[in-house]
Amino acid sequence: MLWRKSWLETRTRFLIGLFLLLLLAAGNVFEYPRVSALIPATRSIDTGGALGGLIRKAVELQRDYRGFIWWQWFRQNLTQTWTLFAVLLGTGGLLSQTSGGAASFTLSMPVSRTRVIGVRAATAIAELLALALVPSLVLPLLSPAVGQSYGIADALVHGACVFAAGLIFFSLAFLLSSVFNDIWRPALMACVVAVVLAIGEQIVADGSRYGIFGAMTAEVYFRTGGLPWPGLFVSAAASAVMLYGAAVNIAEQDF
Amino acid sequence: MLFRPNPSLGVPIYLQLMEQVKHAVETGALRPGEQLPGIRPLAEELVINPNTVAKAYRELEHEGVIELRHGAGAFVSANARAKKVTDSLRAGQTIVASAVERLRARGLSEDEIRRLFEAELAGLRTPGGHRG
Amino acid sequence: MADRRTIETLDLRKSFGTTEALRGLNLDVPAGSIFGFLGRNGAGKTTTIKILLGMTRPTAGEARVFGLPANARDSSVEIRRRTGFVSEDKELYEYMTVDEIVRFTAAFYPKWQGELEQRYLRTFELPLATRIKALSRGARTKLALLLALCRGAELLVLDEPTSGLDPAMTEEVLQALVAHVARQETTIFFSSHQIAEVDQIADRIAIIDRGRAVVAGELEELRERYRRIQLVFDGGAPQPAFRAPGVERMRREGRVLTVLSSAGAERIVDEARALNPVSVDVVPVTLKEIFLETVSAED
Repeated sequence: MLWRKSWLETRTRFLIGLFLLLLLAAGNVFEYPRVSALIPATRSIDTGGALGGLIRKAVELQRDYRGFIWWQWFRQNLTQTWTLFAVLLGTGGLLSQTSGGAASFTLSMPVSRTRVIGVRAATAIAELLALALVPSLVLPLLSPAVGQSYGIADALVHGACVFAAGLIFFSLAFLLSSVFNDIWRPALMACVVAVVLAIGEQIVADGSRYGIFGAMTAEVYFRTGGLPWPGLFVSAAASAVMLYGAAVNIAEQDF
Repeated sequence: MLFRPNPSLGVPIYLQLMEQVKHAVETGALRPGEQLPGIRPLAEELVINPNTVAKAYRELEHEGVIELRHGAGAFVSANARAKKVTDSLRAGQTIVASAVERLRARGLSEDEIRRLFEAELAGLRTPGGHRG
Repeated sequence: MADRRTIETLDLRKSFGTTEALRGLNLDVPAGSIFGFLGRNGAGKTTTIKILLGMTRPTAGEARVFGLPANARDSSVEIRRRTGFVSEDKELYEYMTVDEIVRFTAAFYPKWQGELEQRYLRTFELPLATRIKALSRGARTKLALLLALCRGAELLVLDEPTSGLDPAMTEEVLQALVAHVARQETTIFFSSHQIAEVDQIADRIAIIDRGRAVVAGELEELRERYRRIQLVFDGGAPQPAFRAPGVERMRREGRVLTVLSSAGAERIVDEARALNPVSVDVVPVTLKEIFLETVSAED
């Protein structure tokens, strides 16, 4: 019954996220014909500097469909939107239910606190996996409609990377939720960390290769077929530590 | 037939129950051999603690007013001790009636009269107590 | 009555930062009793209950339920397996329906009593398909009570079970509790600051004030022991120091000296007679008066 309860508590966020991401994925696919028509026209852009370099890189990548999908969907839409929902699903746990909530009811059940939050975390993690994979599978499904094809393997690997590397943000929000008893502070703080990290990875040399967002967008897979192991490893290790920390916090908490 | 005891009288509830039963026996509302309500149903009906009802019944049995037949319930005693109590009660009621009338004639209110009786009873109840 | 103790606390202490919520609380709740736990707001009632249920950890001292330590993780789960709880705020999962939360709770208790559930759903008139969010306060309390009563629990811990209820509903709740105790081997431990309901159904009480039990014992016995002694004097009343024990409070107003004694009223009266009062009155004391006299007026 804990699973059902966790589902009831998270399903609104999950369904909104799913709906949003499905729309975005479909939108990306159907955008391609228009974008590809514009590409020849941009050949003559001649801006200099870092911004110019970025624009040229983007244009080059998006000449072909696979590059376009990677740039628009995996690198931006999925990664950013998914991260937001990872943070949202990480909040609203036991602690936020103390004031004007039903924490004391839950805690009067003959279950350990670890099990309560374990089930809550597992439910959210399963939902996040679905949020990463299902909209990504829209791509192989709908691409034929614009005369293109996209490999299922690519969709799944990229989706899995977004999930596995981005889990760190869920774990951070989850940990913060075991410290602060409202839902706003953990969400806000985790989002701030995500933004700072994203900016930092752009600035620091090789940041996009070894960093978390680098692993989420999996540029190395896109280019070479190899997996972004450093980022995945850091995310896994950090997530494990943070989730454990959350469990300890909840176990020690006076309710 | 049995009324809700009043906890805010300061008199133990089980005593109030006992008085009610004795009064019922005395006035004939409960006849010898008749069955009293069970402890549990009575507690539920009066919304008081079942242990309190049990204590009242035990004390009433001790005083010979009722009999507790194992498995069958509580019954009003048929014997003379109960009748003796009944007779004493009847006589007592007359005494109390006249005393109350006299006190009323002196202009005392009902509350004042009640307080006098309670104080007297409370003073007498403690062992070795006496009044000057 | 069995001499097992369902709940037992020894010198229980709890501090929240610099605030001492419990300062050495000693409680003794025998099995099968209806135990009323009285105290002013903030006296420590809810903290005590939370410790018993493993929601809060004591700072010092011991708390045992069914003989098991309340602050050990494993035994706390075992305690909760045998305990039904209703919290002070009666908060339940707003997003669930009545039926859903009954199913949810029942899933945790193998001894869940289905026939009792049906009976209470009928008596309390709880609509199965309604979301808890839409229930009135009274209905919510009755639902919380149902969820506690049907668990097949040996102990019910209720934090202010009738707060916010009108008199008719209060009576319904008390009736359900008495009926429950009458039919099953259950101990009820309920906190309250409604003296009347404690008076009505409790057989044992403790009054907690500023983190300590200031009065404890069988209710009937307390009613027999506590006395108010009123002494009227010719001139101004003296303020003697009684050698006899049991003097709880003394108040002097003009020619009247009032003494609240918790025991041994007749010895106090004997001593008092030596002061030549004009009149001596010994009257019983209600639980409400005991409460008001023994809890402090300020923090």
